[in-house]
Amino acid sequence: MKNILKILRTEKGWSQAALAEKLDVSRQSVNAIETGKYDPSLPLAFAIARLFGRPIEEIFDDGVELASAAE
Amino acid sequence: MTQRGFRTAKRRYHYLFWPLMAAYTVLVFATSFLVDTDTAPTWLKVTSALAVTLPLFGVLYAMRRQTEETDEYTRMRQLQAMRDGGLITAGFAFMIGFLQIFEVVDLISVFWFGPLFFISYGLSFCTQNFGKVV
Repeated sequence: MKNILKILRTEKGWSQAALAEKLDVSRQSVNAIETGKYDPSLPLAFAIARLFGRPIEEIFDDGVELASAAE
Repeated sequence: MTQRGFRTAKRRYHYLFWPLMAAYTVLVFATSFLVDTDTAPTWLKVTSALAVTLPLFGVLYAMRRQTEETDEYTRMRQLQAMRDGGLITAGFAFMIGFLQIFEVVDLISVFWFGPLFFISYGLSFCTQNFGKVV
């Protein structure tokens, strides 16, 4: 799943370690999510969305178009 | 399952792990110096062996608790490493067991399967992300 976590984090001027501390996860977790190696669970995705004040779908993109998904 | 977050889980793990390892080290040295396995009575040998093992059970409990309490990604990595360690240990146990049944090798102490698990678990944990999508 693609995401814009790295962009949002750098906009805030936070390091991976700083973001990890705010989310109470390991720095490796943040790195794995940013590089697309790991997709977070819904609770963690919601926590990320809340932290940046954005809806989940604005941060994470599963590449499925809504119109084709509805078919 | 009680998820407490990465930092709390790590702190609670270290609070349990290090005293237990210190107790284990002291007990290993104390029993190896004080208990003569040739002359000591059986009750003393049994007590010594179980006393040395108790801190290890504590460490195993600490590992289990950490996998429950830490963040989801760390939990996944830990469990994958434990899976690999367990499977490698089981594989070697079968292999060495059959080598013994066919009288290819002499008896090997089952004690070494413990260190084998922890070595394979550690190596798996350190190498699992090399060029792999998890």
